[in-house]
Parts: sequence; C-alpha cells; structure tokens
Amino acid sequence: MLGELLKGLGTTLRYMFRQPVTVQYPEVKRPVRERFRGRHELKRFADGKERCIGCSLCAAACPADAILVVPAENDPANPKSHGERYAATYEINMLRCIFCGYCEDACPTNAIVLEHQYELSFYDRRSSIYTKEMLLVPEDQGHGDPPPILQQLSRRPSPPAQIDL
Amino acid sequence: MPDVTVTIDGVTIQVPSGTNVVDAARMAGVAVPVFCYHPRMQPVGMCRMCLVQIGTPRLDPATRQPVLDDAGRPVIQMMPKLQTGCTTPVSEGMVVNTVADEVKFAQRGVLEFLLTSHPLDCPVCDKGGECPLQNLTMQWGPGMSRFDYNDKVHFEKPVPLGDLIYLDRERCILCSRCVRFQDELADDPVLGFDNRGRNWMIISKSDPPFDSKFSGNTTDICPVGALTSSDFRFRARVWELDSRPVVCTLCPVGCNLSLDMRYNQLMRVMPRENGAVNDIWICDKGRYGHRFVDHESRLTTPMLRRDGQLVPASWDEALALVAEKLAAVRQAHGGSAIAGLAAPRLSNEDLYAFQKLFREVLESNNLDQRIGAPGEPALDDLGALLGPGTGSDLAQLGAGTTVLVLGADPEEEAPLYVLRLRAMARRGARLLVANLRPTKLDRSASTRLRYRAGAELAFLRGLLRALSDEVGTDRLTVKSSGLDQLRRALFATSLDDTAAACGVSAADLKAAAATIASAEHLLIFYGAEARSAGPAVVETLGALLALAGKAGQSNSGLIALLPGGNSRGALDMGVRPDARPGYAPLAQPTIGARDLWNAVQGGRVRAVWVAGLDPAASLPAARAALDAAEFVVVQDLFLTETARLADVVLPAASVAERDGTYTNAERRVQRSRQARPPIGESRPDWQIVQGVAQRLVQAWVATGAPAVPAKGPKDGKGARGARGGVEVGAVAVAENGGWDYLTAADVAAEIAERVPGYAGVTYPALAATGKPGSWGRQVNEAIYYDGTNYENTEGVGIKLPSLIESGRASLNLAPLPVPATADDRPLLLIAQPLAYDGDPLLRGSRLEAHVPEPYVALSRADAERQNIRPGDIVRLASSAGELALPARVVDDLPQGVALVPANLAGVGLATVQTGPRTRVSLVKVVV
Ligand code: SF4
Ligand code: SF4
Ligand code: SF4
Ligand code: SF4
Ligand code: FES
Repeated sequence: MLGELLKGLGTTLRYMFRQPVTVQYPEVKRPVRERFRGRHELKRFADGKERCIGCSLCAAACPADAILVVPAENDPANPKSHGERYAATYEINMLRCIFCGYCEDACPTNAIVLEHQYELSFYDRRSSIYTKEMLLVPEDQGHGDPPPILQQLSRRPSPPAQIDL
Repeated sequence: MPDVTVTIDGVTIQVPSGTNVVDAARMAGVAVPVFCYHPRMQPVGMCRMCLVQIGTPRLDPATRQPVLDDAGRPVIQMMPKLQTGCTTPVSEGMVVNTVADEVKFAQRGVLEFLLTSHPLDCPVCDKGGECPLQNLTMQWGPGMSRFDYNDKVHFEKPVPLGDLIYLDRERCILCSRCVRFQDELADDPVLGFDNRGRNWMIISKSDPPFDSKFSGNTTDICPVGALTSSDFRFRARVWELDSRPVVCTLCPVGCNLSLDMRYNQLMRVMPRENGAVNDIWICDKGRYGHRFVDHESRLTTPMLRRDGQLVPASWDEALALVAEKLAAVRQAHGGSAIAGLAAPRLSNEDLYAFQKLFREVLESNNLDQRIGAPGEPALDDLGALLGPGTGSDLAQLGAGTTVLVLGADPEEEAPLYVLRLRAMARRGARLLVANLRPTKLDRSASTRLRYRAGAELAFLRGLLRALSDEVGTDRLTVKSSGLDQLRRALFATSLDDTAAACGVSAADLKAAAATIASAEHLLIFYGAEARSAGPAVVETLGALLALAGKAGQSNSGLIALLPGGNSRGALDMGVRPDARPGYAPLAQPTIGARDLWNAVQGGRVRAVWVAGLDPAASLPAARAALDAAEFVVVQDLFLTETARLADVVLPAASVAERDGTYTNAERRVQRSRQARPPIGESRPDWQIVQGVAQRLVQAWVATGAPAVPAKGPKDGKGARGARGGVEVGAVAVAENGGWDYLTAADVAAEIAERVPGYAGVTYPALAATGKPGSWGRQVNEAIYYDGTNYENTEGVGIKLPSLIESGRASLNLAPLPVPATADDRPLLLIAQPLAYDGDPLLRGSRLEAHVPEPYVALSRADAERQNIRPGDIVRLASSAGELALPARVVDDLPQGVALVPANLAGVGLATVQTGPRTRVSLVKVVV
C-alpha cells in the first residue's frame, strides 16, 4: 500500500523535471500540421487578381451548405479576377462549416483554401458569417501565375488564324 | 401513317413510318446522343453525334422479297458505314445497333473533336449544369484529349447578337439549331453562318441585330453555352434555382412559365412545356418582361391621403377607411354611385371577388375592365359563345384544318400564336390571312387576302356569301336566330359587287370559301384591327363559323386576341357593365368605363375603385374626373398616375406572389402558383377586396343599417349555376356574407360552383390535368431538352366548353346595323397594338429599349402627296381633336391608312380618337 503510494509520487517527481507536453495557450501557440484544415482564405494570384471566379462550385460541393456565392460580371476596365466573372458576394458561415475541405477540392482555381487559423469563436451567430472582405488575402500576398485556362477566360482576342496556318 | 417494325439494340417496337432512328430509339427506351437534331425541327445531320449502325433486310433482287436464313429469319445486311440516326427514317425490318464498338468509337471521336475548339468555360458558363455538351461528354465522351490544350481556337468573349442575346463564339459547336429555329419556326431569318473553317461563326444579319420576338428560345435550344440570355448573365448557377410554375399574364396566350427564383428573387423565366398552349416555347416578352416583379418602384405599404399627401398607413386603417367611405357613399347615394374598374390581367379569383363585392355587397353593377378610352372596341362575347369546343388542342391540328386570321397581327398581340400557327401550317393546315395591311404572318400564309381599309365587313359578307353559295345553310346546326335576315342581307348585293367593294376578287373569295367549306376543323383568329371595325364584323365571323357547320365543335371556333393576359377571364367573371358572370346579361346595362368619367363629373358616380388599370395616364377626362371624385381607391403594383390621384392606394401582389387561375384566349383555365412571398405588405387582389367586403358586411350587421344582400344574383336572368349557389351564399351570410375565403382555392371553388361554364374547374381538378408519362423527362431527355424547358407538373389546364356547346345560348345571325359615318376626312386612323408598348409591366426589363418612340405610319402614296418625309412632324386632325407625331413612311401600308401605335406612353391618342376607328386629315407641320 505504502509502496504503491511512493511509486506514484515518484512518477510525479520524475515528471516535474521533464519538459511539459502542454503549452501555455494563448501565450504560446503550437504550430499545426501542414494539411490542417482551419479557417478559409480566398487567395489571389501574384498579379493581385482574385483567384475566385464566382463559379459556386464550392457552394455546390459543401455538404453543410455553408457557402453563399453571388456572382457578377467583371468590369472589363477594372477586372477583379481573370475572365468575365467574379464573386460579388462570398460568405462562409463558420458555424455551419464542418471543415471537411470539399470546397477546396471543388475549386477550379485553388481560390478557397482551408488555412491554419483555428481560433473561431463568436459572441453572436451573425458574426460567424465571414464575408469576402474577411476571407480575401491582402493584395500583395498573391502567389502563382494564372493557369492557361484562366488566362484564356480573359477577354484575350487572339487571332484564330494562327491555328489554321 | 402505317407502323413499321424496327429492332433497336434488341428491342423490337412498332413506330409510325417516317420516324427517324433517333426518335424511334427513344421510343424503345434507347438513348442516342444528338446535338444538332431537335425534335421540333427538320434534321440536318450536321454534328454526326447520332451515328449508329443500321441494317436492313436483304432483298432478293428478283422477287423483291426479303431473303431468309436457315432459321427462317430475314438476313440483315448492315450498311457499310455508320449512319446519322437523325436523318435516317426507319423502314420495315430495320435493325439498329447503338452500342457497337464502332459506334462508341465514333461517338468518342466526335466529342473529342468538338472539344478541340471548345474552351474549358464550365465554371463560368451560364449553361453549366444543364449543358448537353457537358452531359454527353460525361456519358459518351473520351476520358481525355489527344490535342494540345494551347491549340484551342480563341475568339473575343461574348459579342452581343442583339441586346437580349450574347454569343460566345468559342463555345459554339455550329449545330445550326439557332439558325434553323429562326428560319423554320419563328420565321425571322435573322441569324446565319459567316466565314468558314475555324473562323466559322454565327452572326446576326438584321438591323437592329437579332430582330425577333422569339430570340430567347435560341438560348434554350443551343446545346452549349454559346447563346446566353443577357438578363440572366452570371446571376446564378442553374442548380441553385428554385423553379416555380407560373402563367404569363402579358398577353392572352397564357404561356406556361417557370419563374426560376433564388432567395425569392427572380433570376430568369423559362418555358414550361404545354402542348396545348405554348408547346416548349415562350416569346421574349414573357421571358424578359417579368422584371416588374422585382422592380424597386413596387408599392409596399397601403397609403392614405392626409393633408393632400399620400402617406403610408396600416392595412387596418386603409381597409377600414375604404369600407367606411364606400358605406357612406352607398348610404347617401345608393350603390349605383360607386364604380369599379379592374384590369383584365388580374386572376379569375381577383376578378370574381371584385365583381362580387360590387354586385352583392355594394349593390352596384358599374363594373368594367376597360378605361373608357374612345379607341376601345366593344366587349367580345363571341369568343366565348363560339370558342373552340371541349377537347381542342392546337398541338394536334394540321392537315384538314383551315385557320382564318382576320384583322390581327398575332406577332404583336399574342406572339406565341405565330409559332403555333406556323407549326399548324407546316403540318398541313391551310392558313388564310386576311388583313388590310401586310403582317409578318403573311409569309406563312397559304392564302393572303388583302381587303380595302375599312371594308372588313364587305369582305366578310362576301366570304359568307361565297360560303353559303357553296354549302347553303344546311350545316347550321346550333341554336340560332335571324338566319332569314342574314340571307336577305347577303343576297341584297351580288358577289361581284361585294368583291368590288372590298377589293378582294370574287374568285379569291370563292376559293377562300371553298377552303373553309372543305375544312375538317375551322379556327378563326381575330385581333384588334378586326374588332375596331365594329361588332358587326365579329358577328359575321360567328355566322361564318356557324354556316360552315363548325360552331361548338372541338378544335373549331373563334379565338379573339384581346388585350390583357386574362381578358377572357375578366369577361367570364362578369367584370363588365352589361352582364353577370357567365355572360348572363343584365336587364339594363349600367355605367361602364365609357360613361364613367362623365358620370363622375355629373355626380352620378361618387366613388371609384380602380384595380390594376391606369386611366389617368392616357385619358385627360379620366384624370379630371378622378380629381373631382369624392373618393378614389386604387390598388396596383406601382404608384401609377391614377394612384397619385387616389385617396387610398393599396399595394397588390404581382402574379409571381400569389396563386390564381387565368383563362386564355381559347378559354383554357390554367393555374399559376405563388413563386415567392408578396413584396413588402402587398396582398393578392382578392384578399384586398375581401378585407373591404368583410368590414362592410360587419358594419352593416352591427348597425343594422342597409340590409346585407343575403342572396345570390337577384336578376331573374341569372344563369343556372349562379342560382345553384344561392344557398351557399345564404348560409355564409349569417357570419360574414360569404367572405371567408382562406386561400385562392376557396375562391376558385366558389367560381366553379357559381359561374356557368366553370363547373368543375377547381384547383384539385386543375392539378389533375397533368398526364404523367406522356411528357416530362424521359430516358434521354437531357439530350433533347436540358436547359430547354421544364416539365409541366401543374397540368395542361382545363379547356372550358364554348357556351353554344352547353346548349344554353343561342347565336344571333341577324346582321347588326352598321352606323353610317358622315366624316369624310381622307385617312383612317387605326391604333396598332404593339407587343413592346407602354405597358407598365415592362418596366425594369431590357425590353424597355425596344419600345418605339411615338410615330404615325403612312403609306408612301399618302406621304408623297403631301411631301412628307420620314421624321417630319405631321398633325392628325379629327372631329375630336388634333395630335402631332413624327411620320414614318411604310412601303407596304395601303393608301388611306394612318397607323399609330396604341398604348405608348406620351401619345395622347385619346385626344383625336372618336371611336375605335377615326377618320382624320393630315397636314405636315412646317417648322
Ligand atoms: S470545409 Fe466543408 S463544410 Fe466547410 S465550407 Fe468547405 S465544403 Fe463546406
Ligand atoms: S472559391 Fe473557387 S469554387 Fe468557390 S466560387 Fe470561387 S472559384 Fe468557384
Ligand atoms: S450558337 Fe448554339 S445553337 Fe447556334 S449553332 Fe452555335 S451551338 Fe448551335
Ligand atoms: S406569347 Fe404572350 S403569354 Fe406567351 S410568353 Fe409571350 S406574352 Fe406571355
Ligand atoms: S447529325 Fe444527327 S444529331 Fe447531329
């Protein structure tokens, strides 16, 4: 009986001199894994244009019906994205989202990406809806060149004759 | 047509001879993919998607008999190459293989080739989700392409074909469906191919571009997203839409629509298939002209006039005020001091409730569906008396049918009938088009008859005379009177004299009469220009139908093209000064719209209730009278000119926001469903009426003041159905006077009970008219129809019997006296209805840009005589007044006619018109 008690206290004593496995959240934050699925971000291309083309495929794929996309036509003089179409409204309801990542899979332009931010708490339901402004990364944080498919979506009048020749 | 037996993928079936292999396969439940073939158009074999293996029994050259094999079965000789199923008609004993490796190889090849020059636009393409190219590629296409992605052909992204339709040339697969639709079905050959090779593209050949009233249908049948509708561009993805079945109220055809909603906002309008009404098409007015439901100028709250200003109020206040004021007027001056006008686009339920409030609660018969403009012709009864009989179905008419179109321009008055008439003509019907001026329908006519302006009656008498020469009067079987007078009138002049008077030769009249006499079915369409010539013309049309022996028969009858989407319903419901519901005439006619404004000024009418009409906008007399009236209630969608003069303005729900039934020109009752909740606080018109009625009834029960009329129609002439309803009324009156409808279905049930002819037309009965299985999605429907139209789950509607069929009514053949006109001004002013006119319902739509500026059209001869050039301002003067308009010189307009578009905002036609037709003189205004 006494022996067991001592054995237990011994374990406690041993761990007192070890590095703790817990961290002092929120002062200390543990990095998440590369493939962690946290709060979404809407990405941009290196040229600063939005990747999202307002196709609603993410919304169609979403099993929780968390995404609302209202598309609109780009102003040719000042396009927000490549091609004719962009998302005028893009909202994700983080209370509905189950962080499955299907939206990410569905997106043809890798615009919506589940990133590493996981601190999502709200005082009221309304604030759980993330708008496009909240989701979109800053303009200077774009990456990658638009793939040919998107370049082609731009109003690029290329003479068809070049193929015939 | 005799049936032939074919075997398709092992399924042996009988199909009518002449069927092509694609359709035959479909009947056997086998899907053959197609792009260019469309079941409503001639096959052209342009896309090669429908390649199949076909074999026919080998014939012995000597005996022409099939060679039999050892087992006694015919030896099948397969054709050496694959055949296009869409262009190959079936033949006896044909064997088709659609699943052979060769066929699959061909299908994959065709798709791979189509996709070499097709952009990967699916995520941003409005067709995505209902795109045959997507679907066929998924089902029949190759998994990958051997072509370099960078070799794709590129064009500048969408170019407008017209302002309604955008073309994305990269996406076009050059199937020519759009071109053929415009050429074959719409008869607006405005599209064509340009260039060749990889630069081959669709262009519009007309000016203004894509000048057609049916252009929207090409976006439906385009098998890719090459043609898209400018007003649905990037509004939503198709799978996000919630389709609601609605009936179009913009013209009397009553096309079946789907309102595609997203979050209660209208995204687009699509046709719903209804073979008896609109087939799978709608016109651009129906497709683009429904933006009014979302317009920001819609009224959202009731308004009352306080200190000269209209201020928002609650429904309780507004309804109580209306009830109080109307009760006071009735108390002081009797029910006849109250008058009501209701628009012929409101639903049957609204119109029934409206007239019931007036007739049974307010005891007033001062009702009308017109506004009292001088140009409005008499109300049309014959379209109901002699309407097409029970079981009529336009989709079935073809060879053996004669259609007479008199004084009508269907393209403007009821656009979709153009497609129906052309389809009938293509199936072999004889189309006689008689008019005083050319219309587009002339091109489709088998016989064109051009009578002199103003000689409609002479022309019809001539036709009638020729018909009675041909068949006598033996075929007259319906109850009628006045045959002797008619005969006397007909034989008073010789056919040659009549022919000379109307400008159509006696030979032509005889030939037309022979066509009519030999017809198995006879349909007569007549429009505004015929009706403006006076009731005698319409009467004579009735006589023509009766003498041809077609009165009251199925698939034969008169179809009147009246203004307003539910004009026939408004007549049936008795919103008129001279008859109760069901055409039961009143002993003495009361104050209709024509006399109303004088009656208001003279103090005989003190309170006016206007529902959905805007008399003040076009009639100065109405404006003055409404100003002077003691109390004016207006219920409408918008704050119209009339509403601005009102004491109480009540916001009404639009067609998209309520349930209702509508009766179309051929008297088919169709149900329209609520597509979204009413905007703001607006309410369906019948509910508004009921709110006032309940308050009136309660007030009178409480005060014991004037007796609540606890009875049905008190007029002894009330029709049978109406009398049958008396007990119902009496029982309900004990509580609130029969005003306890909870839903539109309750009103419809009462209509079915009390309005003669509507027996049995209840919501459950209407819903039961769908024939599951005979339409809707079938095995490979996607290929034919995806994105084309919607299956119809609401039913085809109920065709009402014509009154003559019911045996209660009788036809008066005696010729009506024709009032002599003493006016000798040289020109005949005719108001021409236009599809795109000043109708407030077009507001917010892209069609507003298609509404012409006011003009007067003159013949070249008339213009030259006075040295008038296009654009010159001319002054028209009649005995009533003057009107200045810019002139248009029209080559094919007959001399002596001045054509002015009716119902354009800002044209005070009422100032010159003395009646539906006005004689005017013309002077050029020199500036
Ligand atoms: S992660 Fe899953 S649930 Fe969340 S928005 Fe994307 S698809 Fe919807
Ligand atoms: S995030 Fe991607 S899938 Fe969603 S609408 Fe934008 S482009 Fe389409
Ligand atoms: S525009 Fe559409 S319908 Fe017309 S040819 Fe091209 S693919 Fe066919
Ligand atoms: S033809 Fe008439 S009923 Fe049909 S869609 Fe056009 S306006 Fe509406
Ligand atoms: S060739 Fe037959 S459908 Fe196009």
